Amino acid sequence: MGANLTDLSSGPPHPAGQTSAAALPPHDIILELRDLEKRYGHVQALKKSTLSFRRGEIHAIVGENGAGKSTLIKLLTGVIRRTGGTIIWNGQEVDLATPNEAINHGINAVHQEVVLCRQLSVAANIFLGDENTKWGLLQRREMSRAAQKILDDMGFSLPADALLGTLTIGQQQLVATARASLRGTKFIIFDEPTAYLTRQEAAQLFALIRRLKAEGVTIVYISHRMEEVFELADRVSVLRDGTHVGTRNIEDTNDAELVALMINRTLEQIYHKEEIPFGKTLLQTRNLSGKGFNDVSITVRQGEIVGLYGLIGAGRSEFALSIFGRNPKTSGEILWKEQPVDISNERKAIDLGIALAPESRRDQGLNLNLPIGLNINLPVYDQLMRGPVIDSGEEKRRADAQIRDLQIKTPSRRSLASSMSGGNQQKIVIGKWLNHGAEVFIFDEPTVGVDVGTKAEIYRLFARLLKNGAGIILISSYLPEVYELADTLHVFREGHLVGSQSYRERSHEDILAEAIGV
Amino acid sequence: MTTETVPTSVKTRRNWNFLFALTLVGLLVLLCVALSIATPNFATGNNISNLLRQGSMIAILAIGQTFVIITAGIDLSVGAIVGFSTVVVASLIQSGVPVWIAIIVTLLMGLLIGFFHAFGIVKMGLPPFIITLATLTSLRGIGLLMTNGSTINITDAGFNQFSRESFLGVPNLFWMVIIVAVPAFVFLHLSKWGRYLYAVGSNPEAARLSGVSVPRMIYIAYGLSAMCAAIVGVMLAARLGVGNATQGDGWELQAIASSVIGGTSLFGAVGSVHGPLIGAFILATISNGANLLNVNSFWQRIITGALIIIIVFFDQLRRRSR
Repeated sequence: MGANLTDLSSGPPHPAGQTSAAALPPHDIILELRDLEKRYGHVQALKKSTLSFRRGEIHAIVGENGAGKSTLIKLLTGVIRRTGGTIIWNGQEVDLATPNEAINHGINAVHQEVVLCRQLSVAANIFLGDENTKWGLLQRREMSRAAQKILDDMGFSLPADALLGTLTIGQQQLVATARASLRGTKFIIFDEPTAYLTRQEAAQLFALIRRLKAEGVTIVYISHRMEEVFELADRVSVLRDGTHVGTRNIEDTNDAELVALMINRTLEQIYHKEEIPFGKTLLQTRNLSGKGFNDVSITVRQGEIVGLYGLIGAGRSEFALSIFGRNPKTSGEILWKEQPVDISNERKAIDLGIALAPESRRDQGLNLNLPIGLNINLPVYDQLMRGPVIDSGEEKRRADAQIRDLQIKTPSRRSLASSMSGGNQQKIVIGKWLNHGAEVFIFDEPTVGVDVGTKAEIYRLFARLLKNGAGIILISSYLPEVYELADTLHVFREGHLVGSQSYRERSHEDILAEAIGV
Repeated sequence: MTTETVPTSVKTRRNWNFLFALTLVGLLVLLCVALSIATPNFATGNNISNLLRQGSMIAILAIGQTFVIITAGIDLSVGAIVGFSTVVVASLIQSGVPVWIAIIVTLLMGLLIGFFHAFGIVKMGLPPFIITLATLTSLRGIGLLMTNGSTINITDAGFNQFSRESFLGVPNLFWMVIIVAVPAFVFLHLSKWGRYLYAVGSNPEAARLSGVSVPRMIYIAYGLSAMCAAIVGVMLAARLGVGNATQGDGWELQAIASSVIGGTSLFGAVGSVHGPLIGAFILATISNGANLLNVNSFWQRIITGALIIIIVFFDQLRRRSR
């Protein structure tokens, strides 16, 4: 291991090792956190963590959900205040008590969810709070011109005059990035920035990040995606259970080591795959066409995971929604257990035994401000009615059964779904459909924004569903996921199936090339 | 998860909800006690009957309104429907239609108005605020056109008598609240329809993907709200013995206020049947007490406004602390 490996897993700082020996003069450290600590009552969200960030480095931070990453971001951006420890910015001790203080020092963050005004133009958003005025009047044209120049310089092909709301989420994310990197910013925190980006948008973002780095800006990059960490970062720090467990130079480590640091578990244990014999054919589509997809034929059998891989917008989700009765098909056939069926709305799909765990748990999957129990029972209330009223004993029993079976970590079925972590929310969605006795499960991007530990848990659940005679359609733009898990893999490009193969016949590179069309 | 911490947090939350319901009842009791001490006229049978009559109409409106608010909508038309219904029922009775048919026709008309609202929301994509605001003004206009701006006197003695009589010592109009509230409670709290209403208010897309027919629930909610308003219209026509399109002016705001005081969230997915009932009677008691104490009636409006701010503020504190 190199001389500048800093492993600060425990206890008081050791100042000599801290600055990574003589290789780095002290002024190269732009931000230093000493024994930083945040507690809420008895709960310690961040335990005495010592970390340093160098000027002009890309510093990745990885860790499971709940490891303390969000707490760290909030502390650095002044959203919350530390309960212990010292923050040293540019050699000076600072407080970072308010968001304004953080911004004035040049610390900015790009959040996972875009926090900008959808009704305003791109230019207005970029200059929000810092408008160009003349005698109190907005200089719209000049701001628009200036914004367009900024965007062009950054290599983003975005129109400055368009309303933000008309852009895709990915494009909005780029606008947020442009905004954050202005005004003498010296330190930018990116929180899972690529979660909603297309590959091309992600490439634009990475180019910008590298340019910012070249200009001496420090980048903190938080991501669940290991390949991004290895592509971008100079150093990577790992948090686990609110503790900083280590920092590595990127060339001195590999994903196996990082994952081990994060969870104390190996990669093979994550992609949990059992050999399960296929049973009866459950669902088939024959030359199915609809809005966004054309001529798609697939078969799902009991015990089989059918992977649908493709870039976002390739027609995978549209196809799946059509099977679920959401978007009507325009031609072709759907067969359920060898019988042609007409699925004209969601209810018909549900009654057949098709379940959908949609792409966005927050927007489509859950009723967040309602109790977990109600969410779990929502598709089955028809069965729970005894005369005019609900059989409340049965209602409770069913909810509790799913909470217990799926080990949903909640104090009670009465807790609101919004109080759960991403992984537990995904379990509620699954529990809802298990409760209904579904036989074909459509999972649309089931592990977006979910940490490694929960991922492993979700994959184990897949195996359980399969063993019980279910079939799974797994939609993912994360190739390793479909590659490791799917028995049959279909690749979508621009609404068409461009390749279908059974388990692991092809290499990653082949499949990716197929999806992109090169 | 440790099993010890688990039940406590649930219990705390339950206690909070319980406490909130208790606070409202407590506030109502406190008002009554204070008024009984402050004025000898309050705790008389006559006055209490009067208070129950006053409160019962807003209470029924508030129940209907709550269904709509739980879906994250709003029904501004209920006051206008009340006025319009008095005209419809009065003119039917005066033209010789049997009273019971007149009542049923009026209620069905209410239901249809509600369905029209739902049609506007579901099919035309209009915001609930807009479509119900539009019918608010249109219905008043239609009612005034039908009567040429005048009042229709109802000469059917039995119809008028109903509102003044009591059964088991309780005014008939208050019995109407019970007749509406009991099925409403079963509907909202004990049946699948109630769960669906909450689901639609919380996240219509998730509800739809779980097999709930969102349009159907919108039709049901607005239909019930408008039908509750038609019931109140019939009650008011009986109480006043007239049909007049300008009656029930501003009652939609009182109904919304009762609902909100009773713990309904204007963001949807939160609300009950009993909360708005208590809310309506708190408002009625304040108004009754203010009359007895010879407080300028203008003050009642100010007090109602202040009360909404205070109660909703505390309710939000409760939610946040959860």
